[in-house]
Amino acid sequence: MAGFPPAQEKAQAAAVPPLGVYVHVPFCATTCDFCAFYQTVPKGDAVRRYVDAVETEAALVPWDSRRASTAFWGGGTPGLLKAAEIERLGRIMLLYAGQPDEWSVELAPATVTPERLAMLKQLGVTRVSLGVQSFDAGLLDALGRQHTPAQVYRAYDLIRGAGFASVNLDLMFALPGQEEVQWRADLTEAMRLAPDHLSTYCLTFEEDTALWVKLSQGKVKLDPDKEAAFYARTWEFLEAAGYAQYEVSNFARPGHACRHNLNTWHMHEWVGLGPSGASQHAGWRAANPPDLTQWHADLDAGRRATADRVRLTDDLLAADAVIFGLRMNEGVSLPRLRRRFPAAGWSGLEDILPKFLLGGLLVASTEGRISLTPRGRLLADAVGADILEAFESAAKVTVK
Amino acid sequence: MPAKLTRNFCIIAHVDHGKTTLSDRLLEYTSTITKREMTDQHLDAMDLEKERGITIKMHPVVMNYPAKDGKTYKLHLTDTPGHVDFAYEVSRSLAACEGALLLIDAAQGVEAQTVANAHLAEQQGLKIIPVINKIDLPSANLELCMRQLEDILTIPAEEAILASGKSGIGIQDILEAVVTRIPAPRWTDYPTLRALVFDSKYDAYRGVVSYARVFSGTIRAGEMMALMSTGQRSEVKEVGVFRPGMEKVASLGPGDVGYVISSIKSTEDIKIGDTITHANKPAADMLPGYKEVRPMVYCGLYPLESDDYEKLKVALGKLRLNDSALVYSSESSVALGFGFRCGFLGLLHMEVVQERIRREYDVEIISTYPSVVYKVKKHNGDVIEVDNPINLPDPGSIEDISEPTIKAAVHIPNEFLGDMMNLIMEKRGSVDHTDTLDGARVMLTCTLPLNEILVDFNDRLKSITRGYGSMDYELGEYRVSDLVRMDILVNQDPVDAFASIVHRTKAEGQGRALCEKLADIIPPQMFKIAVQAAIGGKIIARDNVREMRKDVTSKCYGGDISRKRKLLDKQKEGKKKMKLIGKVSIPPDAFIQVLKTNS
Ligand SMILES: Nc1nc2c(ncn2[C@@H]2O[C@H](COP(=O)(O)OP(=O)(O)OP(=O)(O)O)[C@@H](O)[C@H]2O)c(=O)[nH]1
Ligand code: SF4
Ligand SMILES: [Mg+2]
Repeated sequence: MAGFPPAQEKAQAAAVPPLGVYVHVPFCATTCDFCAFYQTVPKGDAVRRYVDAVETEAALVPWDSRRASTAFWGGGTPGLLKAAEIERLGRIMLLYAGQPDEWSVELAPATVTPERLAMLKQLGVTRVSLGVQSFDAGLLDALGRQHTPAQVYRAYDLIRGAGFASVNLDLMFALPGQEEVQWRADLTEAMRLAPDHLSTYCLTFEEDTALWVKLSQGKVKLDPDKEAAFYARTWEFLEAAGYAQYEVSNFARPGHACRHNLNTWHMHEWVGLGPSGASQHAGWRAANPPDLTQWHADLDAGRRATADRVRLTDDLLAADAVIFGLRMNEGVSLPRLRRRFPAAGWSGLEDILPKFLLGGLLVASTEGRISLTPRGRLLADAVGADILEAFESAAKVTVK
Repeated sequence: MPAKLTRNFCIIAHVDHGKTTLSDRLLEYTSTITKREMTDQHLDAMDLEKERGITIKMHPVVMNYPAKDGKTYKLHLTDTPGHVDFAYEVSRSLAACEGALLLIDAAQGVEAQTVANAHLAEQQGLKIIPVINKIDLPSANLELCMRQLEDILTIPAEEAILASGKSGIGIQDILEAVVTRIPAPRWTDYPTLRALVFDSKYDAYRGVVSYARVFSGTIRAGEMMALMSTGQRSEVKEVGVFRPGMEKVASLGPGDVGYVISSIKSTEDIKIGDTITHANKPAADMLPGYKEVRPMVYCGLYPLESDDYEKLKVALGKLRLNDSALVYSSESSVALGFGFRCGFLGLLHMEVVQERIRREYDVEIISTYPSVVYKVKKHNGDVIEVDNPINLPDPGSIEDISEPTIKAAVHIPNEFLGDMMNLIMEKRGSVDHTDTLDGARVMLTCTLPLNEILVDFNDRLKSITRGYGSMDYELGEYRVSDLVRMDILVNQDPVDAFASIVHRTKAEGQGRALCEKLADIIPPQMFKIAVQAAIGGKIIARDNVREMRKDVTSKCYGGDISRKRKLLDKQKEGKKKMKLIGKVSIPPDAFIQVLKTNS
C-alpha cells in the first residue's frame, strides 16, 4: 500500500491497462461430479510446499513495478487453507502485486469459519464468493457437493457478519432432475439472502469429469431446449429482482460487478499464479501446467507459464476482445477496440456483422457499440465461432 | 500346369444368397487360406464391403484342388456382387470364365437376379452348376427350389448340389462338379497371346494393375505388350495371381486369371474389355469385349474445399480404373463451384462411389440431387439430353420432355399381387404381363419411369412382400411425360444443386417431402431459415430449418480464455466440414441422407 500513492496510481492507470492477479489454490476435500478445475486432495505438507512455490513463482513474474488493481483467489477451495496459511499466501501476494482495490476469494460453505474470515478481512479481502450451487439438499447430493443447506446459511451469516464490501453467491441450474419450479425456489431463496452479486451457471458437461462419464453412459442427458428455457427464466427473474445482468452468467446490484472478471473480458492483463493459473501479461498469453508436480518442477527449473504460450497480437486480442466482450451486456465499442488493436483484420468482422444485426442477434448503437440481444447471448458461442473465423480469414487475405 | 487341368468359374446369385460365404469354404477346403487367417466373407476385402455386408467388386482368386481323379486342378474362382447396381461386375466376370455356380438361397428360392444372372451366364455360353445353398436353415424349402429350378430356369433339378456355406455342407461336391462339369479353358490354341482385361485398379505402390484372363499364349515380365484397341505398347513389369492377395508368378499361361503390371502410367490408357497381346507378335483379332454400360442416374460431385478440385479429379481417374461403370465429366454450379457430373448404375452405386472417394482418396465431397437423363424436344425440332435439371431449357421453348423407363421383372408371392399393383400404379407404372412362376409366385413384367424407382421402390417392394419380393430391371424406352423442374430455395435463394425434375402431378408431394427432409437434415441454424420448393417461381411447399436454441458457454474466466478459444476453433472447423450455401451450412452427404430417410 505504502509504495503506491494515489497520484501515481492515476497516472499509471492512464498509461497502462489494469492488471489483475489470480491465485489458483488447487486443493479440494473431494471432487465434485461436474468439476473440470484443476484440484487435488492435499496430502502431507502439500499446502506448505504450494505456498512456498507461489512465492517462488511471484518472484519470477516481471511485475515491472505495476500494482494489480484486482485480485482473485479461486480453486479448488481456497478456504481449505488454514488461517495461518491464508495469511502467508496473502502476504506473498501483497508483497509482489500490491494492495488491490478489489480482492475476491472463493469459499466453499463448509470451509467458512470465523478465524478464516477474520484473516481474510485483516488482509484486505473485499469480496467473498460463496459456492452455494443449490439450496436443495437432494440436488446438492446428486452433484457430489460436500455441504448442506444449513451450512450455507451459517456461512452466509458469518460472512455478512465479517463485513465484506461485496458478497457473491454461485448457483447452478439445469441440474439432472431439476425442474423449473425447483430452480425458481433456489433463486427466491438466494434473493432472500440479498447478496450483492449472483453468478448463475448452467451445468456444463466438461470432458474428464464424472458427469461426462455419466453422459457418455446415457445416465444423464443433454437437453439444450431445457437449458435455454432455464437461462431465459433466470434472466427475467433476476432483472425483476433488481439484479442487473452484466454478463451471460453474472448479475449484480449497482456498483458490485466483479472488476477482476470485467478486466479479463476487456482483454486487459492478468497474472495467474499456481497450477493451471493463466496469464495474459507482458506480451504473452500462457498458463501454468494444470498439475501440481509439473508446476513445482517448472518452478524448480526457474520457469513459469510454460503451457499454451502464444504471443499477444492485435489479431488475437481484437478477436477475443470482441468475442468475450460480447458476452457482457454492455457489448463492445468497435471504434475503441479499433484504436487499441489497429493491425487486426477488422474488415472480416464488418462483413459478417450485417447478418447478425438483421438476424436479431446483435444491436448496434450510433457510436459503434455492438451488443448481443438476449437471443444472441444464448448463442454467444456460435456467434463467437463466426467472429473468430471472420478475423482469421481477413488476416489470411492481408497476408496473401 | 496344362490348360486342361485349369477351370475358370464364378459364383453368381441374387443378393445375399451366400456367394462370399461359400467362397470362404472353398478357400478353406483347398487350403488357399488357413483357418487362422480366415475371416467371415474373406473376399469382401474393402472396408465398405465388410461394413455393409455386401460385395461391391468382383474378387478373383486362384486355388489348387486335388480332385478325386487323382489330378490336381488349378481353379480360378471369381466371387461376384449380387446387387443389381453391380450387375456390370457380374457380366465382366462371366466373360473370363467357362462356368458359373448359380446359388439359390434355400429359404428364399429363385429371385429376380437369380434369373437375370442365369440368363447372362447362358448368353455367354457358360456351364451353369446350380447350388441350393443355406440348406442348414430351418426354413429351407428344397422341394420348392428344385421345382423353381426346372420351371423358371429350365435347369434339370437333379443337377442341383445341396450345400451350406455356413455349415460347410456340399463343398467337395461343388469342387468335383467344377472339375467334371465345367469345360477346360476355351480358345487356347489361338496362335498368339490374347488376354482379356476384365478389371483394373490403381495400387499406390505399383501403379496401374490390370486384371487379365489369358486365353492363349503366355505373358511374362520383361516382354513388350500391346493393347489392341489403341495399339499402345508398354513393357510388362510383373505378372501374378490373386491368392487372394497379389502374388507374383513367373508367367501367366492359357486359362490363367491374374494381374499384369506394365509401364503404363496413366489411368486413362487402360480400357476395360481390351485385349492384351504381344507387341512383336500381335494377334489378328481382339477377344470379344464388353458392351459399354449406360449410366442410369447422374449427380454432380463437388469438392467441399474448392482447392481440392484437382485431388478429386485424380481420385475419379483412379477410381474409374477400378469401377468401369463410373463415368464423369467436368461441370460447374453456382452454389458449389467447380466439380464433376458423374453417372452411376443406380443409387447404391452412387453412394458407394462417394464413400470410396472420401475414404480411399481422402477428398471431402458434396453431391447434388440425383437425376436421370431426360430427352427434351424443342419447338425448333432439336432434341437435347438433359442429365442436370439446371440445363433444362426455358419452358417456352420446349415441345415435350421424355423420360427413361425401365422394363422390370418383379418376382412376388401371389398373395401380395394386389398391393404390388397399387405400388406400380402409384409410381406411374404399368404391368405389361403376368406370369406364374410356380404355384406360389408370380412374375410381373412392368414398365416404370426410372426416376420413380430410384428412391424407395425397392424398399417398398421389400416391405410389401415381407422380404420375399425382388426385382431386376433394364433400361427401356423413353416416353413423353408431363415433367417440370422443381427448384429448392434455401433462405429465399434458389440453390441449383438441389433442383430436380419431377412429374407435375407429384411435384407438390415430393416438394413437401424434400423440404421437410432438408429442413431436418440441415443442422439447427442461428437464424430463421426457410426451405421452399417452387415451380416456375411459384412456391409449392415450405418448411423451416430448426433454430439453434442455445450455444453458449456458461463459465468463462481469465483462466478459460485459451481453452474457450480452442473450443471455438473446434466449432469453427466443424462448420468447415459443411458446405456454406448462402448463409446456411449443409452437410456434404445431405442428399444421400435425404434419399435414405425416404420411407
Ligand atoms: N444360415 C446360413 N446363412 C448363410 C449361409 N451363407 C451365407 N449366409 C448368410 O447370408 C448373409 C449373406 O451372405 P454373403 O455370403 O455375404 O452373401 P452374398 O451372396 O455374397 O451377398 P452379396 O455379395 O451382397 O450379393 C450373411 O448374413 C451370411 O452369414 C448359409 O449357408 N447358411
Ligand atoms: S469444490 Fe469447486 S473446485 Fe473443488 S471439486 Fe468442487 S467444484 Fe471443483
Ligand atoms: Mg458377396
